[in-house]
Amino acid sequence: MGNWERLVWNQREAFLAGFQVTLQVCAVAFVGAILGGLLLCLVRVYVRPLRPVAVVLIEFFRATPILVQLLWVNYVWPELFGWPNTFFSAACVALAVQSSGYLAETFRGAIEAIPKGHLEAASSLGMPPWRAFLRIVMPQVLLDAAPSIGNQLTVIVKSSALVSVIAVPDLMFQSQKLVNKWYEPIEILTATAVIYILFIFLLSVTLTWLARAMRRRYGLTAL
Amino acid sequence: MSESLRETLDLALLWEYRVVLLKGLTMTLGVFACAAVLAVAGGLVAALWRVSRFRVVRWVGTVHVEIARNSPDYIMVVWVHFVLPLLLGAIIRRRLEFDPFVSAVIALSYVYSGYFAETFRAGIEAVPRGQIEAGRGLGMSERKIMWRVILPQVVRRMLPESVNQFISLFKATSIVSLIAVPDLMYQVGIISAQVMRPMPLYTGAALVYFAVVLLCANLLGLLSNRWRNKVFA
Repeated sequence: MGNWERLVWNQREAFLAGFQVTLQVCAVAFVGAILGGLLLCLVRVYVRPLRPVAVVLIEFFRATPILVQLLWVNYVWPELFGWPNTFFSAACVALAVQSSGYLAETFRGAIEAIPKGHLEAASSLGMPPWRAFLRIVMPQVLLDAAPSIGNQLTVIVKSSALVSVIAVPDLMFQSQKLVNKWYEPIEILTATAVIYILFIFLLSVTLTWLARAMRRRYGLTAL
Repeated sequence: MSESLRETLDLALLWEYRVVLLKGLTMTLGVFACAAVLAVAGGLVAALWRVSRFRVVRWVGTVHVEIARNSPDYIMVVWVHFVLPLLLGAIIRRRLEFDPFVSAVIALSYVYSGYFAETFRAGIEAVPRGQIEAGRGLGMSERKIMWRVILPQVVRRMLPESVNQFISLFKATSIVSLIAVPDLMYQVGIISAQVMRPMPLYTGAALVYFAVVLLCANLLGLLSNRWRNKVFA
């Protein structure tokens, strides 16, 4: 017990600071993933000349591991594109890039699952295509894809443990720093693992509840 | 920017170091193969626990699966490599150390057994109840029903759908480079530290993973479509 108190409880500020950075990275990456996935999906479905580019990008983002993407975005993109120029933004971009591949496919499936009758009804009512898209297609797509989007948030949080590799001071980084300082890995690493597992478990329980509530309310989401 | 682009796509560097990189890729495949076998076996066992008649066994299975599914791979790999030898060593009162390959395989197979357990459990629960009742009517024991009626169908039905899990497992093996298993990413890191040219190397590593995963995914997709048509006609 004494060891736990000395190594974990007394260092709780370090743990909390790391956890805060983890939350920030995950939040930014989540928003970026949704936007990126939407962009890729819309380009793939609606912009015919750019379709091969979008397909290649989506498959590339889905096929490469997150660690490879982190290192690639961190070391190669600044030279090629001049951006991202901080470790934090590189981490957010890499995590967003990974999930946007999956989300693009999810959105595409949802768009293709909308019955043609809806679009025909819209055009027979004289709705311009963009308005039909905004008011008929997008709400259904977002509702249909909501459970997958929530699942990707879980994936982002799980992958965020790796951003310590590119020196982002997240929870894993702080706990490794402590382990290197005190050379007593058992309590520190176990506490870190428990924090991650508990957080992800609570997150997934909340998301499942949310998906069920949305289904009750809107009756459209696939569970 | 065009000079950076040319530097990035300079794959001649990869060709120059092809032996080392191939060794790394072989190690990656080795870790993947061992972890895949253990994960499938562990997933099957955990799925059987989760559908057991006894509440305690079901509870143990659920705890195992939830911990496995909700833990980040990297955390589990680090924990198994650094903490587990100390804990086990304290129990048997000797100093233990795990070879990085062993910790990597243990950690990855534990985490992915959770995903496979859920897949297999869905498969087990999808078998029509009438078959179980018919088995009982014929006087088969529960164990025999499970072994000869349910499991063959589950494995045949779910193996194509687990292709995505296998691909995830393959991608996750890149993490083991962080505990000094000499796999592809580890070799890439060493070479890039030596020649100080990270751009073609990391791009090349990404392309290698891209090529392997795309190839396998398409191949397995074709195979599983033929399998599905053969089994379900």
